[in-house]
Amino acid sequence: MMWIKENGKTVFAGGKTAFEAAALCADACPSYSEDCEDETVCDDEKSCYNCRYRRWTEKSFECMKGAGK
Amino acid sequence: MKIFVCIDDTDNLDSIGTGELLENMMCEASLNNLCSSGMTVRYQLFIHDDIPYTSHNSSMCCNAQTDNLDALTKFCEDYLEANSAEGSDPGLCILTDDDSLDYTPLIDFGRRAQREVLTKDEAYSTALAFGKDVHLSEHGGTGGGVIGALAGAALRAGKEEGRIKGKLQPVPGKTEWTSDEFSKMFGVQSFTDEEGREIKEPLSFVFMHPTKLIYKGGLVTSVIVNENGRLMPKPKIKKAKK
Repeated sequence: MMWIKENGKTVFAGGKTAFEAAALCADACPSYSEDCEDETVCDDEKSCYNCRYRRWTEKSFECMKGAGK
Repeated sequence: MKIFVCIDDTDNLDSIGTGELLENMMCEASLNNLCSSGMTVRYQLFIHDDIPYTSHNSSMCCNAQTDNLDALTKFCEDYLEANSAEGSDPGLCILTDDDSLDYTPLIDFGRRAQREVLTKDEAYSTALAFGKDVHLSEHGGTGGGVIGALAGAALRAGKEEGRIKGKLQPVPGKTEWTSDEFSKMFGVQSFTDEEGREIKEPLSFVFMHPTKLIYKGGLVTSVIVNENGRLMPKPKIKKAKK
């Protein structure tokens, strides 16, 4: 389970360096949409870290599409 | 005259990003003979729950040259009002680029915006001291984008380190490069190692993976890394491959 609820927000449990988990989540996500190149983190990689619907937080990111519902 | 143009908070989750909007705006201004613009630098600002950023809280700033500042300013204001995304809080900053100016108070503001939650009032009071050398304006929503816009322009004026928009792609058929060749081809002015130390001696390296340049100390800079015994411009890839 890669998602946790924090104050009503859906937050990725893997922090900012769980590259494989973020790739797996993106693969399974119908809402995935790649952000512009300047904001992507992994090159040529479908990953939640590259998704325009992730909102970075201090330790991880929030999925603005409510992943894992 | 030389200027910095910075905008912030122009997007929403589904719109184009602020960097692309800035480049589109400056391209149209150029087509209208209002300016010629240079590279865009991205500055990371503070990530905090109390800041209403869309997704990453970055600020984009480009340098430009204009003979008609008033007309360019009006153009940028109109452009932001017509093209910023619904629900955004756009701000515009145009700052004189002049090495004789003491940017210290602005740079302090920019650095604080990278580690603190700041207010619009603080942005305006900081800008006030620069009189006609800075233009700061709001163009919809809460107008909170003036904070990031002023911070981005300030950091750029202070030659603070930021990422240059876009990335370099390897050149088909050419893997081996000297630092001199690389500089001439891509406009790179400086090389550093991963710790930020300048590399002054001539280098030979391979260029096989897309890389991003940084703006550091006012110079377009390539970071050179040692990957398994081979020197190369730091690849953008951040994933540990199996």
